[in-house]
Amino acid sequence: MTERVVLDAAPQLAPMLVSSMVRGLVRRATGRRPGTLPDREVVWTHGQDVDRVAAYQRLCGFAVRDLVPATWIHVQAFPLQMELMSAPDSPFALAGIVHVTNSMTLYRPVSVREELTLSSSYGPPREHRRGVLLDLVGEAHVGTELVWRGVSAYLVRGETLPGMLPEAQPGGVHLPPDVEVDADTVWRLRADLGRQYARVSGDMNPIHTSALGGKAFGFPRAIIQGMWTHARVLAALEPRLPDAYRMDVRFTKPILLPSSVRFGAHLDGDSWTAVVRERAGSKTHLVARISGADRVPNVP
Amino acid sequence: MTDHTAVVVGGNRIPFARAHGAYSRASNVDMLTAALDGLAARFGLAGRRVGEVVGGAVFKHSRDFNLTREAVLGSSLDPHTPACDLQQACATGLEATIYVSNKIRLGQMVDGIAGGADSVSDSPMAISDGLRRALLAANAAKTVPARLAALASIRPGHLVPDPPGITEPRTGLSMGEHQALTTMRWGITRGEQDELALASHQNLARAWSEGFFDDLVTPYLGVTKDQGVRGDTTIEKLAALKAVFGRGEGATMTAGNSTGFFDGAAVTYLADADYAAEHHLPALARVVDAEVAAVDYTIGGEDLLLAPTYAIPRLLARNGLTWQDFDYYEIHEAFAATVLATLDALADETYCRERLGLPEALGEIDRGALNVNGSSLAAGHPFAATGGRIVSTLAKLLHQRGTVDGRPARGIVSICAAGGQGAVAILEAC
Repeated sequence: MTERVVLDAAPQLAPMLVSSMVRGLVRRATGRRPGTLPDREVVWTHGQDVDRVAAYQRLCGFAVRDLVPATWIHVQAFPLQMELMSAPDSPFALAGIVHVTNSMTLYRPVSVREELTLSSSYGPPREHRRGVLLDLVGEAHVGTELVWRGVSAYLVRGETLPGMLPEAQPGGVHLPPDVEVDADTVWRLRADLGRQYARVSGDMNPIHTSALGGKAFGFPRAIIQGMWTHARVLAALEPRLPDAYRMDVRFTKPILLPSSVRFGAHLDGDSWTAVVRERAGSKTHLVARISGADRVPNVP
Repeated sequence: MTDHTAVVVGGNRIPFARAHGAYSRASNVDMLTAALDGLAARFGLAGRRVGEVVGGAVFKHSRDFNLTREAVLGSSLDPHTPACDLQQACATGLEATIYVSNKIRLGQMVDGIAGGADSVSDSPMAISDGLRRALLAANAAKTVPARLAALASIRPGHLVPDPPGITEPRTGLSMGEHQALTTMRWGITRGEQDELALASHQNLARAWSEGFFDDLVTPYLGVTKDQGVRGDTTIEKLAALKAVFGRGEGATMTAGNSTGFFDGAAVTYLADADYAAEHHLPALARVVDAEVAAVDYTIGGEDLLLAPTYAIPRLLARNGLTWQDFDYYEIHEAFAATVLATLDALADETYCRERLGLPEALGEIDRGALNVNGSSLAAGHPFAATGGRIVSTLAKLLHQRGTVDGRPARGIVSICAAGGQGAVAILEAC
């Protein structure tokens, strides 16, 4: 039986990061951790903040307007993911978990004036050649209507869980690590972009906000939040998308700050394939596919 | 309603000067005023009310929200002359000509002036978004603490100013970088580009020495002739220049075959043909028709500066003409490679069929009829002033030629512009 936890305020990310980090150290010392994922759904209903949406839209390259991008709904559901993953009965600490793919569907345009009921829960764990994949399944409802659904896959290296499914699942993200798409458009990411994005998104992970934070995790400098790049790609294509769309993303290589990257997209049928690459080199940072949304799944 | 014909009566511009040089103390308003005064002197317009003056600038100060009207008020024209600002990047001057000629053809006015000015030397410098938003918030704050809180959000990084960019906001590429992609795609060689640049300099120098510009240019601030023209340049000198755009084998674009930064202003006087005749004004050429187009350069993979290749076939079809039916071709030389890629594209079967949806390629043109009195590579390219320079030049060329095989001499103007846009127009000799 799924436990349903209804929050009455947004979870605070910073305390969760700290407590999760402490718990991770304790677990490493004792070698003990919970053996399964908690069967829990975290739910939070709230109205959206117009000013924050505008700041988000501007920072990610969207037009400032009443309809919110699908990635913005993810940003609002993100604290719920953190709440789940940092819970004492969750098996893995947040530090070191890597966001590898994302898939989200916007079933209909959502206005900034609409109150959203957001939820997040674990999907079944999946195998990965380097560890275990945790799927965080999020949904956004307006009243009882499902308007958005997203699945974020996080890799926990060197770990396993009982009952893991094979990595490839029907309806999952099937993106190659690279695609043959010309990338000529240049995006210049300033040194403080991670801090700016942290302010509008709440993703304060120090790996994104300071060079020191980046170094602590083995990078020469800070790296941009993958969700910024995700949103920037959506922003570039949004004027050409249908009202309801599905966007799949594979994060292949972090982007250091500051840096310049190249973006390109190609339309094949009704499906866009997009890529973000290094400015000077040929390595790929992100691959995305966007197409019209499937119909809303039947709600039991 | 009777039919009206819009004709070019004449033009006037100030010599185009290298940026940060002779005109560095002049503003867009100053230069546009000087161009208007020269035109007024030439056609006896001092104290006269003209139908409308239409112009603009690409690098525009926010205080110049009424740039053209301010220039009118500072000129010898009757202050009852209305004005309108219009801007379409480098096509500003030509779009202004189209606007004025359309009003004349509709009978809404009997005469009008079209043009533009641009100063790189006196360009606006914006404060950063962070500082601007903080200052706006402080200005809007109703209490002292709220004002202080707004000002406290200013960070040292906010104090770095934003110079005006010539990069496309949606692609992050400068115009030169965009053209370098096009140059590569179309396989335009360094040699072809340098030859076109050489011809531009030689043609413009010849036109100056023949006195062609004597009634098209008024000296300004001690400058009597376009500063960019180098009649003595050679193919060897051009070949020795280092590439500034493109990489590796694609690095073929130099300061010699790309336009640099210039200051200047140009205007064209247009009138109803009957009005011109009644008032003993010259009529150089008739504005026949015009077309604008745009390309999908952001993610559609199209060439930023080849929008005219879309406009030209549509304009030709509407007027029952072929690409070969012109005695003069004025194709704006943003870069030598832009002109060459435009000509190549229109002669390319695949491009014409698949991109433009035409039954076949438009074909080649007589290169001897191209930019016969030089163009932007030699004259310089103060963005919004270029349209006025080209329209006035072509109108005079057509008038001098008169008729060809018993029909009026015919010319076409093509100008590419930032934002993946292009404007083209057909003129016929009067």
